[in-house]
Amino acid sequence: MAVSIKDRQFQIAFAARVAIKIMIFRLHRLILILALVFSALHPFDATAQALGQGAAGLITDQQKVIQGLTAKTDDLEKKIQQDGEDDASLVDIRLQLEGLSRAALTGALAFRSRLNDINNRIETLGPPPAAGQPQEPDIVTGERQALASEKAEINAVVASAQNLSIRISGLIDRIGSMRSELFRNLLTKRYVLSDALSPQVFSDARDEFDNFYKAVSSWLSFAFKFKFQAVLAATFVALGLALVLLVGGRRLFGRVFEADPTNEDPSYLSRLSVAFWSTLLPTMAVGVFLASTVFFFNYYNVLRGDIGLFLNALAAVIGVVFCVNRLTNAALEPRLPNWRLIPVETGPARWLARLTTAMAVVIGVNYFLSVVNDKMGSPLSLIIARSFGATIIVGVILILMAMLRPFKAHDGSWRPWPAWLRYTSLALGLFTIVAALLGYIGLALFVSQQVVVTGTALVTAYIGFLSARAIGEEGAFTNTSVGRWLSANSSYEDTALDQLGLVVSVAINVMIVLVFLPLILLMWGFQPGDIEAWAYKLATGINIGSVTISVTGILSGIVVFIIGYFLTRWFQGWLDGSVMARGKVDTGVRNSIRLAVGYAGVALAALVGISAAGIDLSSLALVAGALSLGIGFGLQNVVSNFVSGLILLAERPFKVGDWIVAGDVSGTVKKISVRATEIETFQRQSVILPNSNLINNAVGNWTHRNKLGRIDIKVGVAYGSDVKQVHAVLLDIARSHPLVLKNPEPFVLFSNFGPAALEFDIRVFLADVMNGNIAQNDIRFAVLEKFSGEHIEIPSTPRAVVDVHKPKAWPTDDDKIEADFAEQEQAKMEAAAEARRAAKTGRKVRKPDPD
Amino acid sequence: MWKSLVAAVALLAVSGSTHAASAVNKDAETRTLIVTEGGSKSDLALAAGETVEFCPNGCFVTLPNGDLEALTGSETVEISGGVARIK
Repeated sequence: MAVSIKDRQFQIAFAARVAIKIMIFRLHRLILILALVFSALHPFDATAQALGQGAAGLITDQQKVIQGLTAKTDDLEKKIQQDGEDDASLVDIRLQLEGLSRAALTGALAFRSRLNDINNRIETLGPPPAAGQPQEPDIVTGERQALASEKAEINAVVASAQNLSIRISGLIDRIGSMRSELFRNLLTKRYVLSDALSPQVFSDARDEFDNFYKAVSSWLSFAFKFKFQAVLAATFVALGLALVLLVGGRRLFGRVFEADPTNEDPSYLSRLSVAFWSTLLPTMAVGVFLASTVFFFNYYNVLRGDIGLFLNALAAVIGVVFCVNRLTNAALEPRLPNWRLIPVETGPARWLARLTTAMAVVIGVNYFLSVVNDKMGSPLSLIIARSFGATIIVGVILILMAMLRPFKAHDGSWRPWPAWLRYTSLALGLFTIVAALLGYIGLALFVSQQVVVTGTALVTAYIGFLSARAIGEEGAFTNTSVGRWLSANSSYEDTALDQLGLVVSVAINVMIVLVFLPLILLMWGFQPGDIEAWAYKLATGINIGSVTISVTGILSGIVVFIIGYFLTRWFQGWLDGSVMARGKVDTGVRNSIRLAVGYAGVALAALVGISAAGIDLSSLALVAGALSLGIGFGLQNVVSNFVSGLILLAERPFKVGDWIVAGDVSGTVKKISVRATEIETFQRQSVILPNSNLINNAVGNWTHRNKLGRIDIKVGVAYGSDVKQVHAVLLDIARSHPLVLKNPEPFVLFSNFGPAALEFDIRVFLADVMNGNIAQNDIRFAVLEKFSGEHIEIPSTPRAVVDVHKPKAWPTDDDKIEADFAEQEQAKMEAAAEARRAAKTGRKVRKPDPD
Repeated sequence: MWKSLVAAVALLAVSGSTHAASAVNKDAETRTLIVTEGGSKSDLALAAGETVEFCPNGCFVTLPNGDLEALTGSETVEISGGVARIK
């Protein structure tokens, strides 16, 4: 047993090593290629000579390895014949055989480079001369012969490895057929019940019980006499551990652990969490107590031979019965109707809890007795009688459960379970009883065990799924204790918490599948080795046709991408925050470089991730080629904007913070991203402008190289004013303003003899054109003030006076007024009818669109 | 969103087909490899210019020149001029 465990560990370690190797291999594929290129530059002969010296050693080494593997295979083949009845050991042997097969392959791989060298050398030597040709030197003939014989030896060793692997495959196939045969036997073997149910059984049972009693009592007296202190210590330590767990758990989860009887209407989530924790914590405490008792008894050498097995079985039985009992009580809560997960009535709930516990007890006791029988070498009739009794009881309990009427209708009558549940339970119960009565004890026992154990696992998993769904509902996570704690102690918004709840619910679902799928498979008779082999296959790749699906490959690809992504972000931040900020690099340039680095890094991470996942891009190339035409048409705009964005980053016609005018849009650039650029107008409206617009059309940039800009202010003075004086006054105002630049000089242009005034333009340059409005305001105020001081008139354009011809009023005419009134009434009625129609059809009366 | 994620992962998984070894025949005539995989020997005939994926989990191959080689399932066997090379 110890050997097999050791081998199993070796298997696991081997599998893990292979998986890690694959990942590392992919990660460093590029580096490897580089290394190969460099090594190819070395002269070839040198490596060939170096290898040639160790070749003879290599062959004998590998011969020994293959011989060792063959010997191990021989042992395992013998073991297959010996343990042909034991499913678990067959699985174990299969795992070892698979390991041996891999080892044989690896052993044969060792020759590859040497074989390559030999072939190269033979090629260099050329073929032996034909009959008519001159003789070649003896040294060449000798070397050719030596190489050929070495090659023959190598081929012989590889052939033996090949034969070994063929033999191992045959053995693995044999194990498969043996196991299915075993299972078929278990289910279809028919026992003669008349032997088993004769009065002889009772005397057998009494003998058996006496034997068992003797064994246990002799052990007990031994333990009391010689190991009393150890027993006490072990029990107390185990009890202490369990107590610590229970009390600690209660302190930690006390609020969610206990059902509060005063709560009239607890939420579904709190009911679920109470059910979950009140099952999990006590079960864990009992489990820890039992496990540590067994452990410490072993530690102090209190246990002796078969007593250890009995104690293990007893511990397992107690644990399972306790767990089933807790679970049914938590889900049904016979005492607290408000806290019930399944809405059955109180009386049936009590009965259901009792029946379920009874079923678990029967199955448990049966299991314990089977261990005892196994160890004591009981007669077959006793075993059959025991299994017969257990299966009949389980069948009866199942039928009773199906007959229960757990629901109450509105009129007070009792309603049965839903039909599918009732009939499934009834069918299972009848099937078990009939199978047992016909003598198919193995089948009946298998079914009844599966009903209890798989049923428990399924119910637990179902409750888990329900709680995941409840947490995933909107706003549910915020109301849990974790959600409340998070919202109190962190800066998460409610929406973020809600999304976190969704993530938690998905995680719970995944966890349930990961935990319960292997558990149920285990219960359905699959051996741990089976699951291990599947996991190994899943990790290294499953083949469907010519396609291989590899979980490790995909996972390593994703991990590499995530690492690459965060490295990029970190590098981006470091470059921006430390290097460029210290280097006093312009903000726009900083932004461009940061973006470019980000895009390049993410693209690189994606590429490395894909290659680490082992995805052959060439297989995608075919699809890409076929799709590219469609993509070319469909994504034309997106691609054009993307390329334009790259050009914007490289060319930088404007940068973040610039004041640009593009078509009708004028504002500050807020963000340049790859598809579009965000511009904020001075009214604080964000305009998202596709990049291609900015590349294809003219873009005005007020602050491209500098912020220098000119503003023009028009002033008109009345005809007859002294224009020289006006010019001087205006120039003086322009020059005296603090924001106006001295160079280029302000300039006053006498621009036009206008229809109403002599028009002047004040043209001033500002260092920062963003201050234009302030300067304009100041200058206009100053102009008005100065002009009123100097008595210079600013004429306003006179409006034309138009004589409005009013139409004559209607002569007072009763008929006309009456006709008008009737018309208005008619219109009103029509409008009302229209409104009613609109209301009937449910259409809303639309408001006119805003301009 | 989950659907698309699952679809993407499935696509990635399906396209990840670099595990199997592949054999390429660059000659103008048919070449035969003898593949021992999973306890049975079979002839793998490669037509001129054909590429075949085989041996996903390791196997033994008898090359045209009679050499017996072990493959782990990630190599490429290239046959040209009647000589097979493993890369």
